[in-house]
Amino acid sequence: MLKIRDYSIKKKLTLMNMLVSGVTLLLACTAFGAYELATFRSTMVQNLSIQAQIVGANSASALLFNDAKSAVNTLSALKAAPAVLSGGIYTLAGESFAMYRRDTGGHSPPLPPMPAGQTEEHWFADKELKLIRSIVFQGKLIGTVYIRSDLQDMNDRLLRYAGMVVAVLSVSLIAAFLLLTTFQRAATRPILQLAETARIVSREKKYSVRAPSTDSHDEVGLLIEAFNEMLVQIQARDAALQTSQEELEQRVTQRTAELDAMNKELQAFTYSVAHDLRAPLRHIQGFSNLLMESFASQLEPEAKTFLQRIGEGTQQMGRLIDDLLSLARIGRQEPRLQATGLNSLVQEVLRDLKTETEGRDIHWQVGELPFVDCDPGLMKQVFYNLLSNAAKYSRPRKPAVIDIGQMSVEGQVVNFVRDNGVGFNMKYANKLFGVFQRLHRKEDFEGTGVGLATVQRIIHKHGGRIWAEAEIDKGATFFFSLTSQNDGRQTANGHEGGKNGYDKRT
Amino acid sequence: MAKVSRAWGPLSRQAPLAVMVALIGACNLSAQAPKITEYQVKAAYLANFGRFVEWPNSVAVAKSESFNICVLGQDPFGADLDAAVTGETIGGSRVLAKRISRPQDAVDCRILFISSSEVSQWKEILTALRPLSILTVSDMPQFARRGGIIQFLLDGNRVRFDINLAATERVGLNLSSELLKLAVTVSRSP
Repeated sequence: MLKIRDYSIKKKLTLMNMLVSGVTLLLACTAFGAYELATFRSTMVQNLSIQAQIVGANSASALLFNDAKSAVNTLSALKAAPAVLSGGIYTLAGESFAMYRRDTGGHSPPLPPMPAGQTEEHWFADKELKLIRSIVFQGKLIGTVYIRSDLQDMNDRLLRYAGMVVAVLSVSLIAAFLLLTTFQRAATRPILQLAETARIVSREKKYSVRAPSTDSHDEVGLLIEAFNEMLVQIQARDAALQTSQEELEQRVTQRTAELDAMNKELQAFTYSVAHDLRAPLRHIQGFSNLLMESFASQLEPEAKTFLQRIGEGTQQMGRLIDDLLSLARIGRQEPRLQATGLNSLVQEVLRDLKTETEGRDIHWQVGELPFVDCDPGLMKQVFYNLLSNAAKYSRPRKPAVIDIGQMSVEGQVVNFVRDNGVGFNMKYANKLFGVFQRLHRKEDFEGTGVGLATVQRIIHKHGGRIWAEAEIDKGATFFFSLTSQNDGRQTANGHEGGKNGYDKRT
Repeated sequence: MAKVSRAWGPLSRQAPLAVMVALIGACNLSAQAPKITEYQVKAAYLANFGRFVEWPNSVAVAKSESFNICVLGQDPFGADLDAAVTGETIGGSRVLAKRISRPQDAVDCRILFISSSEVSQWKEILTALRPLSILTVSDMPQFARRGGIIQFLLDGNRVRFDINLAATERVGLNLSSELLKLAVTVSRSP
């Protein structure tokens, strides 16, 4: 059942008003009824008292001259009052002298005692009214009249009154209900409409609706006005928010476009610079070679050494230009994905590294690697750079041990390349993948400082991640994941293809 | 219906009458002891008759000092009549019981009980009393028919009375209807 506090305001108002009118009417009816009852009772007592006085006065001589028959005769006048059950005249000793009964049979009721100092007393008891009255003749007490009357009249009257109360109550309540439904509509309709509007606003987040305003300037009218005002403000704020958000988006798009353009420009610049540097470098290389070959006999040994230094310098610069060019190329091109077995890529790289690792004692331990969707050329570059790095920094180890394999890290398939080389301080791990960043002296380990930057760029192009763990003198491990190898948490490009590639392997 | 009496006197005066009414009640039940004698009842009646009779105004003034109930001839009541009137008042006058031997002595009597001992002289007595406004009472047979006013009768063991209305009017007395309705017969014998 619904609790009263959950009722709608309309129901509450009706209930309240009906209760108030009902209680008021009931109280009024009760008060009138009580007054009516009291009046009727006192009238009854008065009437019975008069009858007792008359009977008493007319029985005085009969009592004095011991004539019961005459007294009975007098008493029989009570027949005229149909409510009188019995009337009796009693001697001073309390004995019955003469008796009248409405219904024949039965004994004379014993005379109730008269309270001291009184000549009349009455009791309402047991569906009847009893009244005793002293018979006083010429100042002398000579006996007592005792009359009993039933309460039929009073009960009939009460019953009629109760019926009338019920009729009045029901008619009044029906009338009140009809009036209420007519009048409360005017009072509750604005509230109900306001509630409906609030419901629409909160459910549909639609701030353009308005509660219909009323002509009345009462609290409800004020509330509706305030509510509508609030909606106007919310709407204005909403619009402002929308505008600023659009502006922001527009700005972001613009900035992104600017950045893209700048980036492209920078890449083009790097590429063209590197490309243009090659020609003069080739001239230097060609002419210094020519000088060495054609004028070797005329050159001092010291000049020869200088020429050799020039040759080494140009070689180093050529490598640097190549690396920069490849880094720039990677930045400009999108990877062309195709299903590729990583094991075959690693074998190719090992072949390429053969000359570089000539005379080294290296234990290559290649585990089983997956098939993935990737750009095979770029991925080969990744392995080439990582493996040549591993070989380079494990040069002091005899033998050097280099592991290549895959493992699972937090549910993600991760490839790794581990060496037992010199390692590095983890403090500088964040510098590892920066361009031209080197953690070792160029004199100890040669290199351009572009290799790992290239690796990271390729991995990022594949939507993957690369990181390293190392300890000085205990080797380093490079881990990398690819989108095509993860469980789908990364949302970069090639997601679907990656799945397919991974599935192909199984 | 009769008018309601509003004349409620002080209750202290009720005692002797109460005894009498109690006696009557007891007599009526007739199972009570001690037995109430016929003359005790008659004495009570004599004491009460005065309450239902109006005397002419001249008499009331002349006899104002006391209300005398007299017994003429041989007294059958003894102390019972004195007991019945002790402390009683009628119309504000004290009730006294007197014994007289001659009708001439009845001048200041309101009520005169003529004893059966006077049966031989009843005519002379009534003639002597004729100018006086006296309520004459007797239990002589034929008393009412012969010119007396109230005559006691015995109805079984109940004491009742006859009334001669003509005799009442002749001496200027006025009897209450309350008394008349209790009489066995109300006659108009001259």
